[in-house]
Amino acid sequence: MSDLGVLLQTAGASFEVDEDHEALNRLCMERGWGDGLPVVPPSSERVERMLAYCDRPWDQPVARIAPRWGEATPIRLAANAVMAGCLPQYFPLVVLAIEAMCEEAFNLYGIQATTHLCAPLMIVNGPVVAELGLNFGHNAMGPGCQANAAIGRAIRLALLNIGGAIPGAGDMATFGAPIKFSYCVAENEAASPWEPLHVERGFPAEASTVTVLGAEAPHNVNDHESISGVGILKMIAGTAAITGSNDATLGGGQPLIIFGPEHAATVAADGYSKADVKRYLFEHAQVPFTHFSDEYIERRLKTRFPERFAAAGLNARVPIAKCAEDFMVIVVGGAGKHSAFTPTFGTTRSVTRALKRRDGEYASSVEEMRRI
Amino acid sequence: MYRKITFVVPEAPAQAAAPLAAQRALGKHGIRLGILDNHKGNADHLLAMIVEGLQGALPIASVVSLRKPTAVLAAPADMLDQLAQEADCVVSAMAD
Repeated sequence: MSDLGVLLQTAGASFEVDEDHEALNRLCMERGWGDGLPVVPPSSERVERMLAYCDRPWDQPVARIAPRWGEATPIRLAANAVMAGCLPQYFPLVVLAIEAMCEEAFNLYGIQATTHLCAPLMIVNGPVVAELGLNFGHNAMGPGCQANAAIGRAIRLALLNIGGAIPGAGDMATFGAPIKFSYCVAENEAASPWEPLHVERGFPAEASTVTVLGAEAPHNVNDHESISGVGILKMIAGTAAITGSNDATLGGGQPLIIFGPEHAATVAADGYSKADVKRYLFEHAQVPFTHFSDEYIERRLKTRFPERFAAAGLNARVPIAKCAEDFMVIVVGGAGKHSAFTPTFGTTRSVTRALKRRDGEYASSVEEMRRI
Repeated sequence: MYRKITFVVPEAPAQAAAPLAAQRALGKHGIRLGILDNHKGNADHLLAMIVEGLQGALPIASVVSLRKPTAVLAAPADMLDQLAQEADCVVSAMAD
């Protein structure tokens, strides 16, 4: 019996069943194991192939996922990765993302259980992007790429099956959102005029990282007319300065600006560094007081933030972040004069984690994560 | 005929609740009621109605009412400890 075979003898860890895909999918639906779409049955053979890319104890939790606080063991994570359609070499990123979003600062408990329509967005940087074939170009946030789709879906299945984010029970989202099926993207580092996200955060360029952010779906910034950096930034600031976003409640979120490569090139060509971009957006992406309802001003802004707004006049403005550094900037996508604004859950901090070998050094390939 | 496979369960069970250190016998003077307001906009109004209703229906000896600092984070440990010390049962509610 294999190592996995022994571990699966634990009560409730597995059961014998006919390999009838249709019947197994009905079973998964009946037991609430999934996202509503058909899954790949997590047979022990498939799970073991996934676990070949996990060099840590397979039955020891790497995290506990809120709100159920279920133990995310590599075995359970691998079962969910199989169900999502992951290739085994994707598995190290699945584990890394789960670890990142279970850090306290991320506030996964709030993000999972809230009535808000957010989901953990996974941003991948470094050499692993090319190695796994993650899409960072045209339609990078849409369908068509197995790595993006399956890794993102594996995360969601783990949040459902291990974390208990069951709609109407552990997940109280008023609407939910399509991003709750899969939300994984890679940065287009080659097309960025700025340092990529992981380098900005102190990691070497040759490190592979996952950054997670509790975010809404992206909202497009269509600007085919501005031919200056300040013009594009003004249009982005205008899109971001909206009344209904959680970031306009000063919760401490990190609004994400996703630049299309063409917009980024125009802004950078006019001399804007990333820090300059963030400073501009902090100063200009502010919501005029007059855009809020009278009730909202009285009941939230003046009541919750009296030191700032109790005596504020109608010319006051509400920033969407606490400081310029809290804005996040990445470059994604292909040709086209578009960027996107992605509001956050508000009370959450993004977390970046690097892929590391057992000896603590940065892994240059997922092959280094193989179990020996 | 299908071959048999070992199906790996993808689900984690809920963490077992910690056993109660002691049974909570209700005092003859009535129930010590705890209220945990989740800080949503109308939670205080809803909970006030609940307290009023319970006081009319049950022998409520005391009410300890606490408010989470924010709706989007779990209640801090000291708040839960206070409720555990000062209440026989707790009503927690959200109300947007």
